[in-house]
Amino acid sequence: MLQQTVAIARRILLEYWRQRRGLIFWAVFPALMLLLFGLIYRNSTSMSGSFDTTPAGILIGAALFFSCLGGTVSILVAERERRTLRRLLISPLSPAAYFLGIVAAQMVVAIGQALLVFALARALGARYHGSVALGALIVALSVFAYVGLGFFFGTRFAKRAEDVNGPVAAFGVPLLVLGGTFFPTSLMPGFMIRAAQVDPVFHMNEAMKGVAGRGEGCEQIAGDLAFLAIFAAASLALGVVSYRRMLAEEKRS
Amino acid sequence: MTMLRMSAICKRFGARQVLDGLALSVGRGEVYGLLGPNGCGKSTAINILCNLLDADAGSVEVAGEPVSKRTQRRIGACPQEIALYKDLRAAENLDFFARLYGLSAADRQRRVDELIELFRLAPHVGTRVAQLSGGWQQRVNIAAAVVHSPDVLILDEPTSAVDVDARHELWELIDGLKQGGMTTLLTTHHLDEAERLCTRVGIMRDGRIAAEGTLPELLARVPAKAVALVETRDEPAARQRAGELGWATRTYAGKLGCLLSQQASLREIVNAFDGIDVSAVSVQPVTLEHAYLEVLHGGPPVETGTAQAREIRDLRQGAQA
Repeated sequence: MLQQTVAIARRILLEYWRQRRGLIFWAVFPALMLLLFGLIYRNSTSMSGSFDTTPAGILIGAALFFSCLGGTVSILVAERERRTLRRLLISPLSPAAYFLGIVAAQMVVAIGQALLVFALARALGARYHGSVALGALIVALSVFAYVGLGFFFGTRFAKRAEDVNGPVAAFGVPLLVLGGTFFPTSLMPGFMIRAAQVDPVFHMNEAMKGVAGRGEGCEQIAGDLAFLAIFAAASLALGVVSYRRMLAEEKRS
Repeated sequence: MTMLRMSAICKRFGARQVLDGLALSVGRGEVYGLLGPNGCGKSTAINILCNLLDADAGSVEVAGEPVSKRTQRRIGACPQEIALYKDLRAAENLDFFARLYGLSAADRQRRVDELIELFRLAPHVGTRVAQLSGGWQQRVNIAAAVVHSPDVLILDEPTSAVDVDARHELWELIDGLKQGGMTTLLTTHHLDEAERLCTRVGIMRDGRIAAEGTLPELLARVPAKAVALVETRDEPAARQRAGELGWATRTYAGKLGCLLSQQASLREIVNAFDGIDVSAVSVQPVTLEHAYLEVLHGGPPVETGTAQAREIRDLRQGAQA
């Protein structure tokens, strides 16, 4: 299974590298969002203070969201459209290896995006306050969660290339907003905060803001980490179920 | 040894019985051509062989083993469409599929090199698949299906979307696989392709094999040694004349086909239709296409003609002499 996982990840990364345009957009978008939101929040705090708190939300909402969730939906749709899905289905590829291969590829992209966002923030005077390892763990769990959601949206709602943006916008963006990605959750009414507790994006944001912006450790973000860990495991299961669902659909086609 | 065996396979989709007792077997090293019109159940049969679909009834064996996830490794399937990663190079695609089948690094390298040589991919091995012509893409498509050295290769209309030159080149490659002992199930709508490549052919109709055999066996189903194609504005008269001469008639692509029980020259055919407005006549040997149409549409009972008709023919032939 490891060889299959590596094969899938390697292939996706090679395709990303060859296309490059997508990688450039995945870098430019979070960089611009970081600048914009950093400058907006500068009104209420110092320059460095603003950029201390902004990168976490930008990484989760403007970087990982589009690469890991949107990217996963695109991968699934492309497999279907270029008929490679059928070839994968008649190979001995295991559903778990396919899911983990996509996770691994997106993880590499996510690491690149995290380095870019925090390096840019640092250049603008910000500081990363917490544990790098803990930050990496949050990124890894976030990638799992986003890929799982991508599998769900990609197999259920996106059959063709034209369908990719629809589910990402319709279901993904509300999750971003409810998750308090671009503004503090303190602005939200109580019932929305309660609703946000089941939104994985909320826990990604809370955990990352806590670690990167406030230097919090495991204890302070334990609840968020636990939610993300459970959601990551559920994502794997969701991915396998979704892959089997694709298989069933492909059999009928 | 029988490498593929389908026995009494039935498959229904809703109210539609797609396969209705399909039975076929393919021996080691054979190239078996599965022919039939669109919707006759060829694709469903392939999906069942590839373990993508379960049959409602019947049994399927690959190399003596019931079809399962395990037998998928013994099958290489090349879909009709180009199912490759087009931003990857030819060799990268082969390497990727080899990894999925668990080949070790050394085996992968060896196998990819072998396929590059066998499929003569060397000039384009570093080119992205998207930049290759349809014929070259199809070569890579087939090579990807055999990257794990399967026992059985399934080729689903391998030349349907390529030009004539590319088709001939692909035939050579498939011939090469055949020489190497690969057992192949080939579906195609190009009957000349089946004639050229297949050791045995099965013609499907209504979800089962309606006729099966070697090329000579199938050709023997056409009650003729040759076929005369007659273009005429007065088909009823020409048909009647053919009947009088003892020739069974068919319609091939809108033309009147006369089944000749023995070879006849063009002049003899032209003279036979003397007095009828005939614009073109050609004589051709019986081909698989005639046998295919015979099996699918059958034909009226062979019109042997009356004694009187034979007399007229003899008189005409005498006059020509």
